[in-house]
Amino acid sequence: MPLGTLDRNPPPFFKQGPSSLSKLMVFSALAVFLMVADTRFRVGQPVRAVVATVLYPVQWLAMRPVFLFRYGGQYFESLASAQSSEAAARAKLALQSQRANQVEQLALENERLRKLLALRERVTVPGDAAEVLYDAADPYTRKVIIDKGLAQGIEPGSPVIDESGVLGQVTRVHPLISEVTLVTDREHAIPVLNVRTGARSVAYGDPAATGFLELRFMAANADVQPGDLLTTSGVDGVYPPGLPVARVNKVERRADAGFARITCSPQALVDGARHVMVLKAGAANLPPRATAEDAAPLKKGARPLR
Amino acid sequence: MIMRPGQQLLLPANPFFIWGSLLLALVVNLLPLGRVPWMPDVMALVLVFWSVHQPLRVGIGAAFVFGLAMDVHQTALLGQHALAYTALSFFAITIHRRLLWFSVPSQAVQVLPLFVAAHAIELAVRMLAGGIFPGFSALLAPLIEALLWPVVSVALLAPQRRAPDPDANRPL
Repeated sequence: MPLGTLDRNPPPFFKQGPSSLSKLMVFSALAVFLMVADTRFRVGQPVRAVVATVLYPVQWLAMRPVFLFRYGGQYFESLASAQSSEAAARAKLALQSQRANQVEQLALENERLRKLLALRERVTVPGDAAEVLYDAADPYTRKVIIDKGLAQGIEPGSPVIDESGVLGQVTRVHPLISEVTLVTDREHAIPVLNVRTGARSVAYGDPAATGFLELRFMAANADVQPGDLLTTSGVDGVYPPGLPVARVNKVERRADAGFARITCSPQALVDGARHVMVLKAGAANLPPRATAEDAAPLKKGARPLR
Repeated sequence: MIMRPGQQLLLPANPFFIWGSLLLALVVNLLPLGRVPWMPDVMALVLVFWSVHQPLRVGIGAAFVFGLAMDVHQTALLGQHALAYTALSFFAITIHRRLLWFSVPSQAVQVLPLFVAAHAIELAVRMLAGGIFPGFSALLAPLIEALLWPVVSVALLAPQRRAPDPDANRPL
């Protein structure tokens, strides 16, 4: 056997480098620092952007086999099914064209009436179409990744909708992709309006991760019924008003608590949306919000907010 | 040279193969398969394997960098996987002299606590940072990783088990 074919080299005596314990100390301190920086000081974003850009080719590579498996079947659909779906789409289009023609006229009429009433014209919010690449694998949050990023002009905080309702909000923007926090995420809150009663409230994501939303702090005798539609109220200045968010599922009125326990199911396809629309953030044109300094005079030694 | 009786002499490990297998494990981890709490962490498995077999080449620094990549991909807390992988690699290097004296199935039993510790670190960090509890199926992940240990041992040691002098009878 020739020399040098064995793997059992004796370990080097002198060139050992730092001990593994000291390396553990250094790297775990760095990791803890990154965590604190990410959650408290919001300075992790540049690190994330750099790593995300370096990682993007690997992610792209990893997406190929899964997408081939998921959407590859569409290429082998029979001609008959394609033709039947086209015929159905044409029939639907014919049905809708009549309404679409009416919409123009109604919009014009509405605009004039609103001017008559001296109401502010409802702003049409510009938006970008995007495609959902995949669900983020992190089991502790509810996020999806879309295929538009800083390069396409996506801004953090933009509302994201799909064809049936509000899907969530853009929370992080990388150069080529963005992260969207879904409405069912625990940390997500959205101001809503009950269409039936006109009552405003806030819908929170459910901490129990059941895929529902929760209307918190509604009085036990509040007028909420199963089946009520909740839409965005627009008071936050982020979401344009009138987008459907959720439908009330179940109302539990408990005798021992002051608040009712109201669960709602999201209207958007939070688990299966593929094509989404990213709306412009803050396009609702609210008047500028009063700053903290105006609200309360600063105490001596207190730090100003932001 | 002190070795376990009956252990095969191995060829030197190819550095390209080591880093290639680590990259492949990263690609496997990046597969967009959705949000599955019991999904085994192949990256952690391969990192532990190379930390045990080649502690001078793959160590804590590499584990930290790969952990950072996983954090950014999963949109997790920045540093969560980095901390777990760093600890994992440290424990693997700590036990690497002892572990190779055992047969492969008993090695799997001995690396199970490592994977449990790594997942426990991630869970603790995320619960402190206010995340959703992923459910009890997440307990399966370290178990599956330990069960995959023999598979990985066979697959990643195969290039080192080739014949040192290939001939017509042993072409590989």
